[in-house]
Amino acid sequence: MLEVSPARRKEAGARDVPASRLPGRGRWIRPAARGQRGRPVKQPRLLAYLFIAPAVGLTALFSLVPLGLAVHRSFYGGGTNIFQTKLDFVGLQNYSNALSSGGSQALEVTAIYTVGFIVLAMGLGLAVALLLNMKLPGIDRLRAPFIIPVVVPVVATALIWGNLFAPQFGFINRILEALGLHQADFTSSPSLALIMVLTFGVWQFFGENVILYLAALKSLPVDLLEAASVDGAGPWRRFRFIRWPLLRRATAVILVITTLTGLQTFTQIYILTAGGPNGATSPIVYEIYNKAFVQFNTGQADALAGILFLISLVITVIVVATIGRGSRRDV
Amino acid sequence: MTFNRRLANRVFFYALVVIAVGVVVFPLIWMLGTAVKPNGQILDLRASLWPSQFEWSNIVKAWNSAPFGRWYLNSVIFAVCATIGQILTAMMAGYAFAMFDFPGKRILFYVVLGGLMVPFTVIIVPVVQILATFHWLNTYQGLIVPNIAFALGTFLFRQFFFGAPPELGEAARIDGASEWRIFYKVYSPLARPVIAALGIIAFLTNWNNFLFPLIVVNTTSMNVVSTGLSVFQTQFSTNYDLITSAALIAIVPILLVAIVAQRQIVEGISLGAVQ
Repeated sequence: MLEVSPARRKEAGARDVPASRLPGRGRWIRPAARGQRGRPVKQPRLLAYLFIAPAVGLTALFSLVPLGLAVHRSFYGGGTNIFQTKLDFVGLQNYSNALSSGGSQALEVTAIYTVGFIVLAMGLGLAVALLLNMKLPGIDRLRAPFIIPVVVPVVATALIWGNLFAPQFGFINRILEALGLHQADFTSSPSLALIMVLTFGVWQFFGENVILYLAALKSLPVDLLEAASVDGAGPWRRFRFIRWPLLRRATAVILVITTLTGLQTFTQIYILTAGGPNGATSPIVYEIYNKAFVQFNTGQADALAGILFLISLVITVIVVATIGRGSRRDV
Repeated sequence: MTFNRRLANRVFFYALVVIAVGVVVFPLIWMLGTAVKPNGQILDLRASLWPSQFEWSNIVKAWNSAPFGRWYLNSVIFAVCATIGQILTAMMAGYAFAMFDFPGKRILFYVVLGGLMVPFTVIIVPVVQILATFHWLNTYQGLIVPNIAFALGTFLFRQFFFGAPPELGEAARIDGASEWRIFYKVYSPLARPVIAALGIIAFLTNWNNFLFPLIVVNTTSMNVVSTGLSVFQTQFSTNYDLITSAALIAIVPILLVAIVAQRQIVEGISLGAVQ
């Protein structure tokens, strides 16, 4: 899709360049950088710097400088509000205090939530994508509904979720009642509260995995699957021995996106449980917010932020190390 | 495989898909039913699924219970300006990284990619401190400017312009066109599909952003729809019908955008997965 369409390229009178040579960094010297007969033309340096200045400047000011500040401040204490500037060096004290006052519980909640989120959002995403990939008339029209929860405001859908799971009048409790079961209070039981926010997270997000898996499935070589079919391989064997191995790269990318999304979970926690009961649904991002903007303890918030940054970094590095080479699709 | 077994299979898989669709859209149907059912039917489960009569005035009542008009205006200003800024800066930077050679290019590109490595949730405290020193809390620029840097977009536009035919620019250069003109008139139009796909995703992300406006804005008049809705929830905590009507107000316009731009959204999601 990034590719300039063949027709358009023809129109431009371009030579046929092998697709593998078009993208990429490094040695590919652009013909535009040279004048006629290979003489280098004057490069518009100033213009180049002007073009990249906003992107570089804003990234530095609102990503890299804040990261440095957060790491730096995580070693300083004495601040009672986020705007205080005179602080004392306290070493790792913020880290130990943050971990002992809710931080380690938050890490535990984050781990449980994220693992559950990955398993359900990826499993359901793949299952629905396989269904939508079947050759059934009209099945393409059924793709759209799965995108809806991904794109509409999370605050609003989380409010609906709260309504569905509400005590007494909520849909779930009315169903339980109709079945002759006890009503469940999804806000006061730690495990039920976690189920409420986890089911919401999966419902809200897994449509994105449906789209990504469906795109990957559609790009698999048809002849291979047909050959297997002719050789008598049933649907399960075609999946297990052909589709699944070929989907490995897509699965890795989807795993990264799903993991990072799970780690960043915040909005539904704020709306549905506010981290309660007793921190049972307070993942690390909510805890950072809580420390900084409710308890006004910026040192501890920055320490937790440093831990979150390390976790994200480790995940990214592991993924780059395992799928790094050849991970760039030929664009 | 016999014909009958095939048919049975088909029916079975159709049923599975339909059940999945049903589960996914059920909360929205519940929302619609709860929002418009007549007062006094709060205990009636069936009324939430299919009200005996549609009480559209509930939605008007919710709209009038809070400054939704103002919040919508703020959301539009925030999401539109931030998105235009993101696309413009990412496209220019991606173009320069792909087309020009200049000292420090590699380092500067890594600076931009560094933005991808820093989740916003890690830096919420320092960002608020920086915005406070600018006196940008509770302002439009405070909402918009920090969201403009768009590392993924820069990366994708760079990839796109690597693949664009260099002959176009050469021809224009021989005709005496300036570099700005070559970018603006020759190459930008080629990028239109990418702009559409990335633009719609960036717009929806900005519109649905909650944590950022939550920490940058704390006055009613500067709230966006998402933060306003959370204030609404705390004000009317147990009035489920009213809250559901408010949720409906927040969802329907975005739903319409999503239906119109469905193809671009799917493309944008797939683009974002190229890492």
